[in-house]
Amino acid sequence: MKKRKIFIALLALVMVFLTACGTQQQSKANSGSSDKVTLDFWTFWGSGDRREVIESIISDYNKSQDKVTVKHSYQPWGDIWTKSLSAITAGNPPDVIVQDIMSVSQRAEAQQSVDISRYLDAGTKKQFYPQLWETTQYQEGTYGLPFNTDTQVIFYNKQIFKEAGLTEADLPTTWAELEAVGRQLDVKKNKTYSRVGFYPLWNLGAEVWALNADNGTSWFNDNEKIKINTKNKVAALQWILDQQKHYGKSTINRLEAEFGSGVSDPFLSGTVAMRAQNLNYYTSLKENASKDFEFGVIQLPEFKSGSGHWSWGGGFTVEVPKGAKHVKESAEFIQYLTSEKVQQKFGAASFDIMANEDANNNLIDGTELDETGQMIYAMAAENMKKTIMTPVPLTAPDHTNLIQEEIDSALLGNKTAKEALRDAQSAVENLVKQNQ
Amino acid sequence: MQKRSLRQKSEARWGYLFVAPFVIGFAIFMLGPMVFSFIGSFTDYNLTSKMNFIGIANFKRMFVDDQLFWKSLYNTLYFTAFNVPLTTMFSIFLAVILNQKIKGIRFFRTIFFLPSVLSGVAVYVLWMQLLSPSSGMVNTILSWFNINGPAWLFDPNWTKPALIMMKLWSAGGAMLLYIATLQNVPTQLYESAELDGAGIWHKFRHVTLPLITPIIFYDVITSTIGSFQIFQEAYVMTSNGQGGPANSLLFFNLHMWNKAFVGFDMGYAMAMSMTLFVIVMIMTVINLKLAPKWVHYAGGSK
Amino acid sequence: MAVESHTMSAEPYPQSITDRYSGDSLPMVAPKRRRKISGHQLLSYVLLSSVSLVLIMPLLWMVFTSLKPMSEIVQFPPTFFPKSIQWGNYATAINSFPFWSYAKNTLIIAGSVVVGNVLSNSFIAYGFAKLEFPGKRILFALVLSTMMVPGFVTMIPQYVIFSKIGWVGTYLPLIVPAFFGNAFNIFLMRQFYLSIGDELIEAAKMDGANHLYIWSHLMIPLTKPALITIAINSFNGAWNDFLGPLLYIKDQNQYTLQIGLQVFKNQSTTQWHYLMAGAVMVLLPSVLLFFFAQRYFIEGMDLTAGSKG
Repeated sequence: MKKRKIFIALLALVMVFLTACGTQQQSKANSGSSDKVTLDFWTFWGSGDRREVIESIISDYNKSQDKVTVKHSYQPWGDIWTKSLSAITAGNPPDVIVQDIMSVSQRAEAQQSVDISRYLDAGTKKQFYPQLWETTQYQEGTYGLPFNTDTQVIFYNKQIFKEAGLTEADLPTTWAELEAVGRQLDVKKNKTYSRVGFYPLWNLGAEVWALNADNGTSWFNDNEKIKINTKNKVAALQWILDQQKHYGKSTINRLEAEFGSGVSDPFLSGTVAMRAQNLNYYTSLKENASKDFEFGVIQLPEFKSGSGHWSWGGGFTVEVPKGAKHVKESAEFIQYLTSEKVQQKFGAASFDIMANEDANNNLIDGTELDETGQMIYAMAAENMKKTIMTPVPLTAPDHTNLIQEEIDSALLGNKTAKEALRDAQSAVENLVKQNQ
Repeated sequence: MQKRSLRQKSEARWGYLFVAPFVIGFAIFMLGPMVFSFIGSFTDYNLTSKMNFIGIANFKRMFVDDQLFWKSLYNTLYFTAFNVPLTTMFSIFLAVILNQKIKGIRFFRTIFFLPSVLSGVAVYVLWMQLLSPSSGMVNTILSWFNINGPAWLFDPNWTKPALIMMKLWSAGGAMLLYIATLQNVPTQLYESAELDGAGIWHKFRHVTLPLITPIIFYDVITSTIGSFQIFQEAYVMTSNGQGGPANSLLFFNLHMWNKAFVGFDMGYAMAMSMTLFVIVMIMTVINLKLAPKWVHYAGGSK
Repeated sequence: MAVESHTMSAEPYPQSITDRYSGDSLPMVAPKRRRKISGHQLLSYVLLSSVSLVLIMPLLWMVFTSLKPMSEIVQFPPTFFPKSIQWGNYATAINSFPFWSYAKNTLIIAGSVVVGNVLSNSFIAYGFAKLEFPGKRILFALVLSTMMVPGFVTMIPQYVIFSKIGWVGTYLPLIVPAFFGNAFNIFLMRQFYLSIGDELIEAAKMDGANHLYIWSHLMIPLTKPALITIAINSFNGAWNDFLGPLLYIKDQNQYTLQIGLQVFKNQSTTQWHYLMAGAVMVLLPSVLLFFFAQRYFIEGMDLTAGSKG
């Protein structure tokens, strides 16, 4: 009894001592000052290829000049932004953060990030895909530079196509063709589907099909006008409902329950013949597919012939948070990160589509990648021409749940496509009014 | 007379000494943020650039315009109404069947406790598979009894029951409290009851239950508060706060999180938190008022 | 605020049971019990085993997933048992981040939190349960009210406070508050104290003991099961806490295990096999702690029974 008490007391003492040590080390590290500036750089690349390449890039940069040392801090995916928001609010943020490309102007408006335009070289703008550059602009300022992006395409199983007697010429280019080919690849046994040709909502949201149908206009147009209840979007939702009806809820729910969590992959096992996904899905195929697995990539088909292969993409920017102390040095480092050679290096290692257009194009016919890898970047170059970014509208940043609820009720059969989008339109209009 | 009051004074001094750590900690760590949230609920605070007084505009918006507010409140009330009684009963059940001296009981106790330690994405992926409408374990078992199981996580009517089932499964934390309390029930009481020919139910009803009412009371109050604040499970289950099918898992705190960290509308989120505070406060007061009817303390009246 | 009112009219119900069943016929119980046991026991084992089976499924799934190669995890339909066992996943998981040094960090935090929680809540709750003083009800209402404010509304203001006093970047924001009590645990301890009779305290006072002595020498031994419960639960809370350490720790070398596990999650993919292997390793201490801490439940019972009988 007594022994245990002494033990506990000792333990407590040790704890306090260790904690104190930790604190001391911390303050020592901070006091070690010299003329060299240290930049704290937060990313969420904590393992694998992306981590290796970013650390190698940083070490190159540190060696290339003697004014600045960049220190890489890994922060967990997603929560990195909760942490950075707290740090910005308290006024002790890091120097450079990798941020979500969709909300750059939202952060700029709330004064969470800094305009770096006066530190940028004249030609900077031209390096990037115009729609990516556009996301960083807020009231004449540039609040960060785009780093990488992605774009949505359709992967198809070449083996299944061959077995069904389909050739390259049969690859679908319109929604009608996509549906027809999908039906051809379906396999039905005893009333249940053992293979699904194509179901649009697997790994692509209804919003992407909607903007594809509506000439590249998302829920909001460029002037933040609400464009939810449009003729083409209603038609797109109706088409999705038709596909749902074709396969039946029970088939869809069964398969979705087992791979919707993102673990099992029905495309790899041939249960699904075509799968819409972002182009970077290639890395997963490269890693997990068996050697004889053959796949191809096509663009999202056109809604009607000639309406355009509109697609959607996201990505990340590199920003200087408000309250950071070395804006000039940080802006220089950001320019380095987005320069052609550095971007090319990151792309070759990660298969991310880079924001720097020349970097991607170099990878198409460079020596870094094999044939399939080059094909991926060729696809990227083609698809980026029609890839839309959907920055968060400042008038209704949290509109997604309102629209999704209406789309869900259409999918559940409680509303028609028209009713659902009409109600979504008025719900979002109401939200915009509230936010004014 | 004077002697007694001296004694009272001394006891009061001891009382203040004992509760002093709480008061100090509250003043340093909690008071500021709580007052700040209260004030913030009357502003358009967005964390970084503005904080203008806008009166009761946030509350007006909440009650009149924000349809998701009502939806999230309904979801939360529904969840609480079922979750609190079910988890309480289930954790008592677990504790009671563990409260016996047989071989291997430590092993069973550990297993029963395990699910409460597990959390996060692993649990989510697993439940997605268990609840799969056609091939999942839950519906397979139901089909043995000729029951056609629902689509669980895909049917807005069944998402909340699915979540409650998950919560039941991880009732080990509360179970621990009951095990600890049951240890305080002297075994002679059971033995004497057995001599009187009492059955299992009679023993539970008349020996066990009265003695654990203080902890049931604690469990009901804290799990009511906890249920109103359900966040983590729903956040993971709905891929980062999207609310699940037809927003059926959009709980109060999830909606609040979206307002605060997606829309940066912290003032509105603070107004929501004040509303929740008042609701939970009322529920707690009701619980406290009802307590004398069923809670028994061996310690008598202090 | 009528927080305390219910305790005033508490019936002495349990005592009446004690009276009714306090026979001195105990010696006769033994043979009778032995005969009854086997049927009962069998039933117990069947019940316990079937409940265990349901409860342990997810853990088995975790362990099996941690032993599969990634190419098997993505298979559809999913497999339950691994086809080829990959012990190497554990080595890779542990080497993907400084596992042992993060484990040490987590242990420092969790250990300190346990000490703080056990001491402070037991101490504070004694005041609320066994002592009378003006303002007690208001203070207790304050305790309860701290449970009712959603955490993430106060999260950022709290962060700002810790930032102003220079604690961000240290473990202090994670540890120090534990020494000032926590509403859930204060409330819990108070409930345990209230179910202990006052006669002991009165008797000790007659012998000239002060409240500090009564708390440390009478109450702590009597409430051991409750203290162990608090210790276990607060260890698990601190051991598995993610957002707290993430917000307050700046230096990567001072990270905790839960932050370390996140390296397997990426913007597009999750390395499930490593994540599960790491998660199983992180889970082990909690399970072991519980398995061995149970002993004290039993001990606590004997003590209480002894003091009552």
